[in-house]
Amino acid sequence: MTITGTYLLQLTLNGITLGLLYALIAVGLSLIFGVMEIINFAHGEFLMLGAFAMAFALPVVGLLYWPALAVSIVAIALFGLVVYELLLSRLKPDEFERSILVTLGLSIIVMHLVQYFFTANPRLVDTQFGFEGVEIGAIRITWTRVIAAAVAAAAFAGLYVVLRHTQFGRAMRAIAQNREAALMIGIRPRTVARNAVVLAAGLCGLAGAAIAPIQLVTPYMGQFLIFKAFALVIIGGLGNIPGAVAAAVGLGLIESWIGGFFTVAWQEAAVFIIMIGVLFVRPDGLFKRGSMRVG
Amino acid sequence: MSAILEVSGLRKAYAGVHALDGVSFAVEAGSVTGLIGPNGSGKSTAIDCISGFQKLDGGTVALAGHDVTGRPAHLIARAGLMRTFQTVRVYERLSLLDNLAIANQQFDPATWIDEFLRTKRYREAIEASEQRARELVELIGLKRYYEAEAGILSYGQKKLVALASALMPSPKIVVLDEPVAGVNPSRIREIEVALQQLNQAGETFLIVEHNAEFITNLCHHVIVLDQGCKLAEGSAAEIHTDPRVLEAYLGMTPEMAAAEMRGAA
Amino acid sequence: MSRMKLVLALLAALAFAALPLLTSSNYILGVGLSALIFTVAAAALNLIYGFTGLLSFAQLGFWGIGGYASALTVMTFGGNFWWGVVWAALINAVVAIVVGYPTLRTNRHAFVIVTLTFALLVTLIARDWVELTRGPMGIANLPAPSAFGHRFASTGDFYWIAWAFSVVMLAFLYALCSSRIGRTLVAIKQNEPLVRAQGISPMPYKLAAFAISAAITGAAGGVFVFHLGIVDPLILDFYYMQTFLIIVIIGGAGSFWGVVVSGVALSALPEVLRFSADFRMVIYGVILVLAMFVMPSGVAGWLRERRLTRTREALQ
Repeated sequence: MTITGTYLLQLTLNGITLGLLYALIAVGLSLIFGVMEIINFAHGEFLMLGAFAMAFALPVVGLLYWPALAVSIVAIALFGLVVYELLLSRLKPDEFERSILVTLGLSIIVMHLVQYFFTANPRLVDTQFGFEGVEIGAIRITWTRVIAAAVAAAAFAGLYVVLRHTQFGRAMRAIAQNREAALMIGIRPRTVARNAVVLAAGLCGLAGAAIAPIQLVTPYMGQFLIFKAFALVIIGGLGNIPGAVAAAVGLGLIESWIGGFFTVAWQEAAVFIIMIGVLFVRPDGLFKRGSMRVG
Repeated sequence: MSAILEVSGLRKAYAGVHALDGVSFAVEAGSVTGLIGPNGSGKSTAIDCISGFQKLDGGTVALAGHDVTGRPAHLIARAGLMRTFQTVRVYERLSLLDNLAIANQQFDPATWIDEFLRTKRYREAIEASEQRARELVELIGLKRYYEAEAGILSYGQKKLVALASALMPSPKIVVLDEPVAGVNPSRIREIEVALQQLNQAGETFLIVEHNAEFITNLCHHVIVLDQGCKLAEGSAAEIHTDPRVLEAYLGMTPEMAAAEMRGAA
Repeated sequence: MSRMKLVLALLAALAFAALPLLTSSNYILGVGLSALIFTVAAAALNLIYGFTGLLSFAQLGFWGIGGYASALTVMTFGGNFWWGVVWAALINAVVAIVVGYPTLRTNRHAFVIVTLTFALLVTLIARDWVELTRGPMGIANLPAPSAFGHRFASTGDFYWIAWAFSVVMLAFLYALCSSRIGRTLVAIKQNEPLVRAQGISPMPYKLAAFAISAAITGAAGGVFVFHLGIVDPLILDFYYMQTFLIIVIIGGAGSFWGVVVSGVALSALPEVLRFSADFRMVIYGVILVLAMFVMPSGVAGWLRERRLTRTREALQ
């Protein structure tokens, strides 16, 4: 196989797209952890639901991409709201194990319900763009990939603005950095937590909807991704959004490059081993109320 | 009388703040020594460092002549320094009996093999431990709660349990971190009496406290810290009238303080 | 153990031993022996999670490693089933110590995440290290165990192996949990700084609990795969971890008998819920979530609370 420059470039672009989508998931996890100190095991299911929403919405709107995307994002954000009100709001910040078990239970319920009603058969999702793409020299990238990357990038830009410049975003960062102080100045933790969950769910929904036309959609697609997202969040530093994004894009690139030349074997293990290494090197950095740095 | 506990040049800083800046003092065997000071003076840090719960940046700690500087908390306990905590710590879901038994566990000669084989050594150790536990429970007046879960006790009662637990292995010195903070005034007198009795029986105490009356009634010797340094040292009466102490605590001169006290009387 | 409880436990054990004499249905015997083995694994999880307070997802990894260890002992290394189970226990104990030592020195949160990742890594290895594990195809046709010339070929025969295994393991765990070591683990879970202030170093206890629970879980996995007749990456399906967790949570984390009773009782549940596998999992998930809100300490915990309230009233 000749390793041409164009092939590498293609892999790189794919890798960046994949990385940005991973980043959307990781950032949502990081947000929820920063604000509520719980790890949302059902996060992967938000993504899967976003993909399924896209799969069902597209035929209804005549395969038009943007309306279906919008519907999916809203649907999953609403779902996040319901999950928060019903379940997550009842968890207290220092109940780590209980929160894991609750979100684990939720993840089981959602995944198996979807599998029960819609079967485990992988679905191919078609959009108005079909398989058409753009050609840059010898490289061909489908529109769906281009748009996925663009949308993800736009989402990050939007997130940055929100966290830096809005009341809502500042409140989130305040709670993540110093809960007691934030409470004292009147920030309501329930409101902030609810907003964080809805936002994180929306991001996941977006990621899922964007992935749907690129990969096969199955009920268990979220399961494996969630562990990678954990690893990314921890490697990047909990609450550290640029860190998570950097780690995610890095992972996307690595997976794309290696996948382009070898069969998937040990590279899946690599990210977890790195994560464990990071945890040992900086054990206290892990759960100290620290950053939520945006820039 | 020799010093049971001798600390020298204790130094500890966090994020640029000197919590302890060269503190030295000694606690005589058989005494009740008080360690007082305004908030932020470094009392709790000193206790945590001495007992091994925090690492010292500099200085030494000697227990009965042996250097224990830098040892982890459990080894310092085994060496004979038992401590209590500012926010009371007991095993909430275990019985009083169990609470006291665990406090003595590390100090009796029976191993898990002894337990498994139910050897004589094990049975004797258990009996000795239980007897001591019953004595202490009687002393602190909680006999009827012996089999009950520690969690059902009031805050003040839990402080008594913590005290009894610290005494189980007959340590060389017991360090009490605010033993009457948050405790009902009626209960405070009980604790005072218990400590006096124990001291008369030979136990050495180092007490960190804010309650001035408590310290005055109990302590033979008082050490005052302020902003990480030792400010003064002497008997309770001397400390009361020491101008530096009054300045640190109250921002007053002796005349002002005397006038205050007359007004309050 | 009080005399009454001892008698009850003995009677229950005998009742279970009698099952193959009461039925010849392989199906029922299969359910029964799965119940016993799962109860052992759940009791091991209870040791590390219920008693010591460390939520370990690594149990799944140990279960799988145990399954592969016993299978490989017989199929690749020419040993017999009994040695297979012993190796399953030993290998997992060593792995637990190697993994546990650095992980336990961090904090409880990191422990949960690392154990989860460990289970995941074991799954990847089982799938990808084809030279050793034969990959997704697995190692099939595991032979029936034999001893003293007798082949335990039928399900009924194997049931007795599972029974004997469970009785021994549970008796050991009971002895451990009710000893001073068990009490120290509970103390560590409730108030670790106090334990340290009393001269006890928590680390050796946590490590020992982790290694023992790993060894027992691994041995259980090693026995189970011979019932299945095959070991493949599906032995590491998260379903098993969920089952162990649910048994512990419903029974009551930290209650020895609660978990044992729950393990036996809940194994009948799949039979009552004879729906599709997916729907059963949904029910598990619902149970898990509900239990966390309504009965976080399980049935045993709920009973304990009632007893406590009565004591409290009596003393006040």
